[in-house]
Amino acid sequence: MKEMSLTTPITEEQVLSLDVNDTVYITGIVYTARDMAHLKLRQLLLCKENLPEDFRGGVIFHAGPVVKKVDGGWEIWVIGPTTSIRMEPYAEMVGQLGVKVIVGKGGMGEDTLQSLAKYGGVYLLAAPGCGVTHAEAVKKVLRVHWLAELSVPEAIWVLEVNKWGPLIVGMDAHGRSIFKCIALKASNVKERFFKVR
Amino acid sequence: MSILSGNGTIDKQFLKDRISYLLREKCYITISPDVMYLMEKSYEEETSDSAKEMLRTMIENVRMAENQKKPVCQSPGFPTAYIRWGKGTDITGLKDILKEEIVNDTKDGFLRPSMVHPLTRKNTGDNSGVGVPNMELEYEPTLDFMEVLISFKGCGAELGNAIKIFTPAQIGENAKGIKEFVIDTVIKAGGKPCPPIALGVGIGGQMDVAAKLSRRAVSVRKWTDHSPDPEIARMEEEILGMINQLGIGPGGVGGKATALAVKIESAYTHIAICPVAVNFHCWVARRGGMRIYPTGRIEYLFEGKDKK
Repeated sequence: MKEMSLTTPITEEQVLSLDVNDTVYITGIVYTARDMAHLKLRQLLLCKENLPEDFRGGVIFHAGPVVKKVDGGWEIWVIGPTTSIRMEPYAEMVGQLGVKVIVGKGGMGEDTLQSLAKYGGVYLLAAPGCGVTHAEAVKKVLRVHWLAELSVPEAIWVLEVNKWGPLIVGMDAHGRSIFKCIALKASNVKERFFKVR
Repeated sequence: MSILSGNGTIDKQFLKDRISYLLREKCYITISPDVMYLMEKSYEEETSDSAKEMLRTMIENVRMAENQKKPVCQSPGFPTAYIRWGKGTDITGLKDILKEEIVNDTKDGFLRPSMVHPLTRKNTGDNSGVGVPNMELEYEPTLDFMEVLISFKGCGAELGNAIKIFTPAQIGENAKGIKEFVIDTVIKAGGKPCPPIALGVGIGGQMDVAAKLSRRAVSVRKWTDHSPDPEIARMEEEILGMINQLGIGPGGVGGKATALAVKIESAYTHIAICPVAVNFHCWVARRGGMRIYPTGRIEYLFEGKDKK
């Protein structure tokens, strides 16, 4: 288990060097995106429309913040991960966009694991329910997309973060997932509880 | 002194102030003291490094939220208010006060605007909306106080919930079938409901009864208490013991602390069925409760560690 600091844009080489259970700290630009942002990105791609950002080498954070308006700009008041599995239907799209790092909570499924291996990416686990802690790492709101249409939690917030972490590699680019292993072990334990004695 | 007018209505401004205090001091910026106690206990007992680090971050986050007067978690979840009152008091205006305070607290950054139309997904922008907060009203004529308990329960946790209508044969010996259903549901949810979780299990009635009981069990009861029914208390302990051997761990990172509590509430059911609802609560137990007496005295719920 190693510790690594990543600065965006993140390269394929960096991603390939990561293994499950490694600890990561991120500095640079992070895009928040949850259900509606993913849906809208897909619709734009289908219609061959321009996307609001170039996601290559980027970090997507499954999150919707609480924001405050300060001096005509925005401050991230609290922010933390949302349940990532809801974004599983977009696994292939996110890989195609060139996203190298997904940050969320709870883990993702088989489609994401395949996409991470195919396009070179990792899934990082952020401590759930820790909105104040994660907000400490956000230095600035650079811009926001689709705020009026999607509202605060669902908009894409483009954030500048500094040494954000610790984030734990839950799924790596080599086909490994801590969530899969933990579920398998849990099922074996369960079998022991309920086997006919 | 009395805060009641002649017809038993509580002074509106008094009620509004007390509810505002309850929400802003006990519901958003911290977690209920019984749950904090269990989180700290889990941290002491955890052996894996990453699980311990996860729990340390969670506990630290609550302290930071309290100090900075910020919400513990960015997601407000969905609010349900449990109200009990007696013959001497009147709850007129209570629902409006709750709705108003939630909208005000959203404007002040204590709650993220998160309520949408279920189909169009249009966000109201201030956490107003039909059915928000959900109100569970219980009139008990002999009560000499009015109890207001508000629970904001995270919705990532909701995604793991499950309900099954068992036949008597499926219940099995020592309710083995029900226990297995509960454990399967926990394994399937894995790290998604923000463990360490508390699990509410509603058993009995029809589907709607079991579902309501499951939310009530995990929202109204202290996570440190024991069911007064010895049979149910044993089942709670047994299931909790099983869950904490599964190894899912805090945040789903692996470890001992998968669940802090299992709370079962039951009702009698029909000879043909046994509905069972399983309801996840994340570790971020944002809830507060108070009993308001006619003299204006307030008694807060969930205070102290093990006392009911």
